[in-house]
Amino acid sequence: MALIEIDDLHVTFDAKGRHVHAVRGVSLAVAARASYGLVGESGSGKSTILRAICGMAPVTGGEIRIDGRAIPARRDRAFARRVQMVFQDPYASLHPRHTIDRTLGEPLRIHGVARGTERGRRILRALEDVGLDPAFRFRFPHQLSGGQRQRVAIARALMLEPEILLLDEPTSALDASVQAEALNLLSRLRAERGLTFLMVSHDLAVIDHMCDRLTVMKEGRAVEALDHAQLARHDMKADYTRELFAATTERIAAAE
Amino acid sequence: MTGWRAWLLDPAPRSPLQARLGQAWLGWLRLSRNPLALIGLLIIVALLVAAALAPLLATHDPYVQNLAGRLQPPLSPDHWLGTDEFGRDIWSRLVYGARITLYIVALVTVTAPVVGLIIGTVSGYFGGIVDTVLMRLTDIFLAFPRLILALAFVAALGPGVENAVLAIALTAWPPYARVARAETLTVRGADYIAAIRLQGAGSGRIIFGHVAPMCLPSVIVRVTLDMAGIILTAAGLGFLGLGAQPPLPEWGLMISSGRKFLFEQWWVATMPGLAIFIVSLGFNLLGDGLRDVLDPRGSSK
Amino acid sequence: MSLLEIEDLRVTFATEAGPVEAVRGVSFSLSRERLGIVGESGSGKTMTGRSVLRLIRAPGRIEARRMSFDGIDLARIPEREMRALRGRRIAMVMQDPKYSLNPVMRVGRQLTEGLRLRDGMSARAARAKALEALEAVQIRDPERVLEAYPHELSGGMGQRVMIAMMLIPEPDLLIADEPTSALDVTVQAEVLRILDGLVRERGMGLMFISHDLNLVSRFCDRVLVMYRGRIVEEIEANRLSQAQHPYTRGLLNCLPTIGGPRQPLPTLTRDAAWLE
Repeated sequence: MALIEIDDLHVTFDAKGRHVHAVRGVSLAVAARASYGLVGESGSGKSTILRAICGMAPVTGGEIRIDGRAIPARRDRAFARRVQMVFQDPYASLHPRHTIDRTLGEPLRIHGVARGTERGRRILRALEDVGLDPAFRFRFPHQLSGGQRQRVAIARALMLEPEILLLDEPTSALDASVQAEALNLLSRLRAERGLTFLMVSHDLAVIDHMCDRLTVMKEGRAVEALDHAQLARHDMKADYTRELFAATTERIAAAE
Repeated sequence: MTGWRAWLLDPAPRSPLQARLGQAWLGWLRLSRNPLALIGLLIIVALLVAAALAPLLATHDPYVQNLAGRLQPPLSPDHWLGTDEFGRDIWSRLVYGARITLYIVALVTVTAPVVGLIIGTVSGYFGGIVDTVLMRLTDIFLAFPRLILALAFVAALGPGVENAVLAIALTAWPPYARVARAETLTVRGADYIAAIRLQGAGSGRIIFGHVAPMCLPSVIVRVTLDMAGIILTAAGLGFLGLGAQPPLPEWGLMISSGRKFLFEQWWVATMPGLAIFIVSLGFNLLGDGLRDVLDPRGSSK
Repeated sequence: MSLLEIEDLRVTFATEAGPVEAVRGVSFSLSRERLGIVGESGSGKTMTGRSVLRLIRAPGRIEARRMSFDGIDLARIPEREMRALRGRRIAMVMQDPKYSLNPVMRVGRQLTEGLRLRDGMSARAARAKALEALEAVQIRDPERVLEAYPHELSGGMGQRVMIAMMLIPEPDLLIADEPTSALDVTVQAEVLRILDGLVRERGMGLMFISHDLNLVSRFCDRVLVMYRGRIVEEIEANRLSQAQHPYTRGLLNCLPTIGGPRQPLPTLTRDAAWLE
């Protein structure tokens, strides 16, 4: 049975006086320990799906199930221990006035786990896991580079040892070389901890590198679902997928 | 010298305290490059010193009357700022008055901004009906002219420094609530707030641990800039006989009693007036400097 | 003769921790060709582009042994003459059209204002010219776009309007700073094609600043690779795959490819010697 099941999901909300139907009947299933990708251009509703899972966007139709059970209307602490998210912009996702120590310690404090010296040990281990020196512990976010901040954000998401990690364009704000490091880190952590990824990106190449299956989205609808092998064989049916594929490969293949 | 400086500027602090002090030190470095802010700070420090060391700085007892030596002009042999209508030394009264001014400032600082910050952040964070109710309440308080409302309170509660402060605090919080709410509205949608909510944090923790620290700088700046107005209101209440009562050496009260001699013995009212002016100026200059240092947008780089 | 010649350009910022050099001795020349400047964030590529227009704000300072544009000494001429050059002979397209267009002014007015004020054109002539410019960037319904406010345009449309606006005075040099990075991939290609066509047609010089090595190589004649304020490699665009410098090689290799192997991506090991 799939770990995450999304059934005919609709999300509608009012933004700036306009009625937005951001997600229009999307269904997908993510197996446990799998890595699933959502790819699409701006306004395709891909990030909205992640936000809907977290309760940051209203579900107006359909259902989201985790482990066969509909997720609670109010995302509680138990939900927080299972599902965590990494945001796109590492400059906006860390509290500017909290040290890294506080940022990483906060989840432990909220859930009342790992008190006293154990908390410090957990924070140091989390830093080590994402490849950051212990010297970073008491720095503020503005003293870190974008890549280092994103590592902290990943470490924070893993503090409660969740099974599901939602990744919202986790590397699109990073330089290419830093993106490679962050993607490698995510792959390693997934292998080590048996995590389930639901990853959103506008970059088909990134999704292809990271995910076993993916759904191409456009204007709130799922255009096509593909797996890794199909994409490698260029075995796609929808024109839009082909267009996206061509635009992406054209960009990359140019140097060769 | 270089040892503690290196410790403060250590890019890899070893404790939360060191990290915080390091940031404070950087803030101080930024502030210290602004000469006007430094003048403001100097004035506030002078006020603090005067209040703390009043018995040492005062040349006379501020309450002892000497009717033989009344209304002596400044620079007279025994009284360098002159004496008032009861022959009390004006300098000594000003120095002791600094304590009352500081008392007022301290009392207002621990009440109005705190109330404003709580109401503003709660209102901005929850939005909806909570926001509507709290903000209309704020509007009601904001609609009253400050001095008139303070007058009404003092009239109801009776004159005295504490009641004057209470009256001022009750009328001073709405602007802070407004500032805090505006700041909260921009912070509320930030990813780091979404992240902490996803970690399962409750509203109380988010508001006081994550939102309020972002609002604090603007509120602090606003309080510093308002301090001049607060001192003036307190002085005004004193002047009207509704704040501090004689024979307390409160500056507004001193102006009030000097009013009768304004044309012949100008110094009786002018000296406390100058004191109010200088302290107000000090708070304003410091507030302007703090705005540059504390602005979260400016220091994020 | 080259259009733009830059020798030993330095951009320094005074900070609390002492001066920080964002550009450290960059020299290059540009004739009527397409020159790419590539680097990651903090490499000084944007600062280099802005220096040409002297658009560096205090506490930043520009120094150069030589900085001449068509015989004009950019480093020495007074600000008034610089203003006359900006937009007219040297134009700049920036990353996000949202920040470059005035949000409360109709597109039409923004396009024609310069023509009417600077060149004293009549309203009708300016409008005709603006329409022509919008057609040149392949906007299908230019009449409607002229009446629109910037927020009513999509990202790709806004960027095309920006390009049209910059090209109206027919500048000799266009500096494009990440002109397509804020756009979707399918739109990117189109905007680039338009930009490319216009540059070729009018024979102007182009300085194309980007973080994307592949994009630049496809689009430019020559590429400068910058690292921490220095040029580490200069190479003909079509010979990019034979790049020598380990930094350039690293940048080329670290991108994931579709259908590529699942092993970890090669990462860049930075060498202190590159800074020399």
